[in-house]
Order: sequence, then C-alpha cells, then structure tokens
Amino acid sequence: MSSKVRSESPTGLRPALAAAALAVLALRPGPAAATEELNALVWCDHTDPALIEPFEKAHDVKVNLKEYEGTGTALALVDQSQPGDWDVFVVDGVDVPRVVEAGLLAPLPDDQLPLDDVFPQVRMDDVTVHDGKRYAVMEKFGYNVVGYNKAKVDPADMRDLTTLWGDRYKGRIAVYDYYIPLMDLVALELGMKPDEISEKTLPKIREALFKLKDNAAMVGEVVSSTTALATGEADILLGGGEWAVAVMEADNPDLTWVLPKQGGILWAQSIGVFQSSKKQQLALAFVKYIMSPEGQARLATSSCFWGMPANRKAGAVLSDAQKATLRWDEQPDFLARSYRYFIPDAALDAKMLDVWTEFLQH
Amino acid sequence: MPRALRSALPSPGSLAAGAYAALLYGFILLPVLVLVLFSFQDSRLPVPPFDGPSLRWYGAVFDDPRVMAALGHSLLVALGASAVSLLLGFLAAYGLARHRLPGARGLQLLLTAPLTVSYLIIAMGLLITFNSLGVPRSLWTVGIGHVVINLPLCFAILYSQMGGHQAQIERAARDLGAAEHQVLLLVTVPLLWPALFACFFLSFTFSWDEFLIAFLTSRFDVTLPVEIWSMLRSGLNPKTNAVGSFVFLISVALVLLLELVVFGRKRR
Amino acid sequence: MPDAPRTLCGRLRGWGFVLPGLVWTLAFFLLPLAVMALYSLWQRLGMRLVTELSLANYRAFLAKSFFLESLLNSIEVTVTVTLLSILFAYPLAWILAEKVPPRWQRIGLALAVLPFWTSYVVRSYSWLLVLSEGGLLSTALQDLGLVDGPVSLANSRAGTVIGFVHFFVMLLTLTIYANLSQLPRNYRRAAQDLGAGPVRTFLHVILPLTLPGIMVGAFLTFVLCIGDYITPQILGGNRELLLPQTIMLQIARRSDFPMASALAMVLMALVTLVYLACARWLKLERV
Repeated sequence: MSSKVRSESPTGLRPALAAAALAVLALRPGPAAATEELNALVWCDHTDPALIEPFEKAHDVKVNLKEYEGTGTALALVDQSQPGDWDVFVVDGVDVPRVVEAGLLAPLPDDQLPLDDVFPQVRMDDVTVHDGKRYAVMEKFGYNVVGYNKAKVDPADMRDLTTLWGDRYKGRIAVYDYYIPLMDLVALELGMKPDEISEKTLPKIREALFKLKDNAAMVGEVVSSTTALATGEADILLGGGEWAVAVMEADNPDLTWVLPKQGGILWAQSIGVFQSSKKQQLALAFVKYIMSPEGQARLATSSCFWGMPANRKAGAVLSDAQKATLRWDEQPDFLARSYRYFIPDAALDAKMLDVWTEFLQH
Repeated sequence: MPRALRSALPSPGSLAAGAYAALLYGFILLPVLVLVLFSFQDSRLPVPPFDGPSLRWYGAVFDDPRVMAALGHSLLVALGASAVSLLLGFLAAYGLARHRLPGARGLQLLLTAPLTVSYLIIAMGLLITFNSLGVPRSLWTVGIGHVVINLPLCFAILYSQMGGHQAQIERAARDLGAAEHQVLLLVTVPLLWPALFACFFLSFTFSWDEFLIAFLTSRFDVTLPVEIWSMLRSGLNPKTNAVGSFVFLISVALVLLLELVVFGRKRR
Repeated sequence: MPDAPRTLCGRLRGWGFVLPGLVWTLAFFLLPLAVMALYSLWQRLGMRLVTELSLANYRAFLAKSFFLESLLNSIEVTVTVTLLSILFAYPLAWILAEKVPPRWQRIGLALAVLPFWTSYVVRSYSWLLVLSEGGLLSTALQDLGLVDGPVSLANSRAGTVIGFVHFFVMLLTLTIYANLSQLPRNYRRAAQDLGAGPVRTFLHVILPLTLPGIMVGAFLTFVLCIGDYITPQILGGNRELLLPQTIMLQIARRSDFPMASALAMVLMALVTLVYLACARWLKLERV
C-alpha cells in the first residue's frame, strides 16, 4: 500500500505544489479587507476610532470591540462565550486577581512592556503579578472623588466630604453608581480607610449611604451621572473626577473636580490577553500599542472619558492644554493622598452589593 | 337639520375637544421636536439655550462607521425576521383556519403565548439557552429572537383575517381544479394582501426598534438601538440626537411611502 | 368554520402548515422558558455555578426586602401608567373618531403615533432632555413666569411614569380608535332615538362596546410596561428600582443568572395572573 502511495506521489507533486502556491497567495493580505480580526472586551474609552484606527492600519487587522461597564457584565459576557472568542481584556485593576484566579488571562512578557515608565504608584504589581508571572498591565488611571459645578457651589465646601452629608446641598448631589469606589468614599467620610470595610463596619457604611441617598438627586452610571451634572440636574457628582468632567470642560468650563481632604479613591484599569486567545501575538501587539506613548496619549484623551495615562512618557505626546485638563503636574500630590479600590472577598462582595441594592432602593 | 347646524358651529364641547387634542398632541410630539431641534445644536451639550443651527453632528454620524454598520444590521435583521415571521405566521394561520386539527385551541394558545411574555424574559431565556448549547451570539440569534416576538403577531392578525368568505372562494378555486399550492398563491395570498402587508410592516417596526433582545443576544455586530445605547453611555452628545432624528426621518419617509402604496391599492 | 379536507391526508397537510411555526415557538420560546425555570433552581456562588436543585433563589427573593420592594414598585408604576394612559388616550381616540372629519382622521392618527418611529432608546433620552433641570420644560416654565426656580421631573418616579405614559398613550389611542371607528353609527342614533342623552349614550352604549378594545390595550400596556428596562433606567435616576432593573443588576453586576432567572419567573407569574384575570373578565363580558 505504502509503496503504491509513494510511487504515485511524484505525479501528484505538481498539483500539490500549485495548490500550496495558491493557498499562499490567498493568504496574503488583500489590499482592501483586513485578513485578521482581534476581539477585545473593553471599557468605552477604547472604542474611539482615533485610538483604534492607527493600530488597525499598522497591522492590517480589524479590531472588534465590545464595550461593557462593570466587571460583572464582562464576566457574564465571557461566561456566555466560547473559548477562543476573546483576545484582549481591559478590566478594572481591582478585579485582576479574581480574573486571574478564574484562569482567564495569559502571562505577559515583562521585557516587552514599558513597565519602568509606568507611574510607580500605579504599577500595582501585587495585583497584576501572580506567582512571578505578570497577567496584566495598568494602562490608565484617575480618581473617584468629587466633581462639581463651580458656578453653583462653594469650591471650599467640596474639599470636605462631610458637607455632602449636611443639609446645604440636599437634592443637589448625583452619586456615581459603582459600589466599590463609592463605599470606599463613604468609608473615608466616616474616618475609616477603604480596607477597613468589613462585615462589622458594613452597617455603618449602610447607614451613611442611606443618609447620602436622602441628599441625592439621582444615582447613575457614567452617562446618566455626567448628564445630570451637564444639564444642571445636580451640581455635585460624588465619585466623579477627570473621567466625568474633562470631556465636557470645553463646553462648560465651570465643571471641575477636587480631591477632598479625606483623600481620594484611585481607579486604575488594566489590559491583558485572554488565556484562550488563538491570536496571542497579535493580542500582545495590541497591548504594546496601547502602552506606547502614542497609544497612551490617545487613550488618555479618548472621546468617551479621559484619564491619566499610566505611561509617563505619554506626557511628551500630550499637548499642554490636555495636560492641564488632566492636572498632570498635580499627580504626585494626588497619588500620595489616594487610596486604592478595596478588594473584598466573594462573600463580603455579595454583602456589599446587597447593601448597594438597598441603597438604590432606599 | 339641527344636527348639521350644531356640528357646523364651534360649540363649547368641540372647543374643549379641540383644546384637549391640542394639549395631547403637544405632549405626544414634544420629545420629537426637542430631539430634532437639538440635533442642530452647535455646542456639545444638547440642552437649552439652542445655539445652532449646525450640521456638525450629522457629519459626525455619517463619519461614524459603527453607526452606519449598525444601521445596516438593523435593516438586515428587521427584514429577515419580518419575512420569516410572516411566512411562518401565514402558514400556521392557514393550517389552523382551513384544516380541522385536533387540539387546535391549544395550538392557537401556544402560538400566541409569546405575546403575553415580557421581552426581558424572552431575551434572558434565549441567552441562557444559546449559552448552554454553545451557540455563539450574533445577528442570527437576534433575528431568531425577533421572530419569536413577531411570529405570534403575524399569526394572530392573519388568523383573524381568514374568514369564511375567503374559504368559499378558495373552495370554488379547488372545485375548479386548482391544486393546494395554486389556491394558496393565487387565491389566499392576493385576498389577504393588505393583512400580509400590515403584518410585515408591524414586524419590521417592532424588530427595528427592539432593544432588550438585541442587547442581550448580540455580540460585535449590534443593531441600531444597541449602538445608540452605547453612544448614550459614552456621554451626552447631540450626536445621539442626530442619529435619532436621522432614523426618525427615514422611518417617516418610509411610512409615507408605504401609506401611499397601500392607499393606491385600496382606491382601485 | 374550518373548511374541508377532513381526510387523514388533509389533516396531515394541515399539520404541515402549522409545523414550522410550532417548532419555532417550541424551540425558541418554550424551551428557553424551561431552561430558565431550571436555572432559577440553580445557584451562583462566587465564580461557580451550583447545579444542585434548590429553592434558595426564591427564598432570597422573599427574604431580601429590596427584591419585594422592586416588585411592588413595578406593580405601582405599571398600574399608574396603565390607568393614566387609558384616561388620556380614550378622549383623544374619541375626538379623532367622532369629531374629526373622516378624511382628516388618518392624518390625525398618524400624527398621534408619529413618535413611534423615533427609536425607543432615543425617545427616553429626549424626555430626559425635556424634563431635567436645565431642560426645556424648566426653562419654558421659568420664562413664562409660572415657577420661581428651576424644576425637574427627571430622575424620579414621575420621570419614569411620564416616559411610559407618552408611549402607551400612543399605543392605546391606536387600539381604542380602531375599536371606536368600527362601531356602527346607528347604535348611537338608536340610543338617542330612545331618549338617551350623550352622557348616558356614552356610559351605556359606547363604553361597554369599546371595553374589549380597552382591555386588550390595557393588557398590552401592562405586559410591555412591567417588563421594560430602558425607561426607568434612563428617566428614573435610580431613585428606586423596578423589577427589570433588579433583574439586570443580577446579570450585570454579579452575572448571577440563576437569581435573575428566579426573578424573571416571578415576573412571568405575575403577568400570567393578570392575563388570566383579564381573560376571564373578558369572557364574562361576552356571555
């Protein structure tokens, strides 16, 4: 049998070669349509064409973006997908440990990333590195503090969180609908540190949240809360920061934000590659692009929301006006006075979420 | 003729009626007027004072490949889902109206049951089921969901329109030697033309504007309502007004066109 | 009456016609409901899905006050919306059918449902622009000197209700008008000839005759309203939660599909009860 096959093979060689040549030709990237696709699960700031198109052109690839808000949504999306569906994951820094635990992320090569250029307080290797392997890299950060309209409220009042619990701004406050940073801020107001939230202190937080609700005009996600600030529905956005007001600054220069004396909550989002991705190299190239000074500058000033680039070298690419809006020069002070998101365990997380739901319902 | 006289003079009653109608029309049309007006806003915030007119946000919409793609997807899904709903609904209505089937009442109930269930529940059920079966989410899954909500509508409308009068004409055709498919295509369909048309149109409208099913069962390729939802999430912006107004104008133009077509047919 | 081929062959053919639609409904409607019912008996613990059957989610529904409260809020809002919508839509439909010359009726009706063709998400959003504090309503009222300071109806239950009523007034105007315009004119004439005044004619003749149309519209309103997520999410400002928002919270924040399924089953049970109540009531009317 085998000899027969072998004897036949010379005659079959030519067509086989021709077929192979055709296949190679067919595989060559066509001039119009991109040959490869990269699927990324991201926050809305990554959907800005100004950020994505340069990468698509350089790598002749189509980047499919699915945006989400809140890690729960993202995990639900991943849950409902087939392995290999996703390549790149942009996720809240705090959630990296549980995402890594679930085995979703692949290790990244340290030597190919500009880690030394990342603001030291933002690197958070304790979160992104597990068992000596890096699974994600911080790409953008900012603060959940107090955004406000300086034409409507006394800026001095905004430096103290406790005024928001008083009567002076009753009905003028919008609250950002994300339980972790908001409970962290409540903890600060109560004189605690965010990581002092526990089952024991949760009742106190709950009580303070209910009081806050009585003062609140609304509780909303990114858009509805910033809309409230823009339309004058609320004058103060608790949990707001550069991400909420920078985009609107050009049209309404009265909108601004401040880090209160009790401190601020530092948000940081990270980027990683899915373990199950079949395009590890391309996905890594995307991560490298996002971490490059150019990518970082575009990400920082994305049309959806602004935020500080994690890579300090982006400063050379950003304009002075952009840096002023981002408060580039004040970062050392801000970073020094900020706390990271508190990371609860699963049981406490469920309890916190229940309290938050009660708060919404209150 | 006191009746005619009474209706010729504006009585207090008709004045009140006029005022009421004006008020309600104001209420109904207000959000549309605001939407269209502020789509021509010049600055970034679609709130008073109006500082337009400017076409910059329309330019932004036409330049946005995601919006344009979503527009195409919506059209595709709405056309496909409506066609399938219409076909399946028509066949089922014909089968039940013209054939004596055991358990017909139960079948009828089952076919119209999705009408009594919230879209949210249909969407969640489909999502969980597709997920456990390993069916990836796509425009196909959105289309399947839209057929689920539109099929009962088409069935109910067509079933109610298949009266005895038509059955007699069909029987006459059969007596004259027409085969079943000929009866169906040459007699039933032409007789039911306005109802079929209305079904397709209604299905199209529902599918075109449906959010929850499209939101939960789609992935990268999204329909227009989902795209608008994500535009809303990326900030308050007259661009949303521009998309909304643009779609509105297209829809109204379409409705007018169809209205003329139907009107033309009816007159003959 | 079902006509003809009563032979086995004809019956088979009849089945053949019904089959595609039936299969579709079974596969993509009934099966998903069954899967969801099953899911509601599972549990989500942390990142794990526990597939042991238990009533834990339903117990949680009864135990945690915010679940029940959101159900009650949903019922309150939906009932308010349904009643208000009928109240506003009926006179408009009546004016269109009775007071407007026939050749203007179509145009009047088309105008009354014109906003149907704005996208539903966009419609809620434009209400937000109208109702919020810097919005059109507040500005207009202040310019007219009707109020002193800015007013806001957005981010409240009132905002949600207004958004809903807007949509359902259009829907109900359509269904009630359809019903009214089908009434034979001589019913009314007969009532008047028998000496009934306009009020009595309306109460004893027209209203009962249009009741089925109202009930159909009201039921449709109830189903669509109680299952809606967009309107309360955009206009309600999270001042309170409605059941669909609570369901979406389970999915979005925790990806807790079992709990979301249990809540969805509760919602479905409620709608079914309302359906049964309406159906029985309608039947009684017909007898």
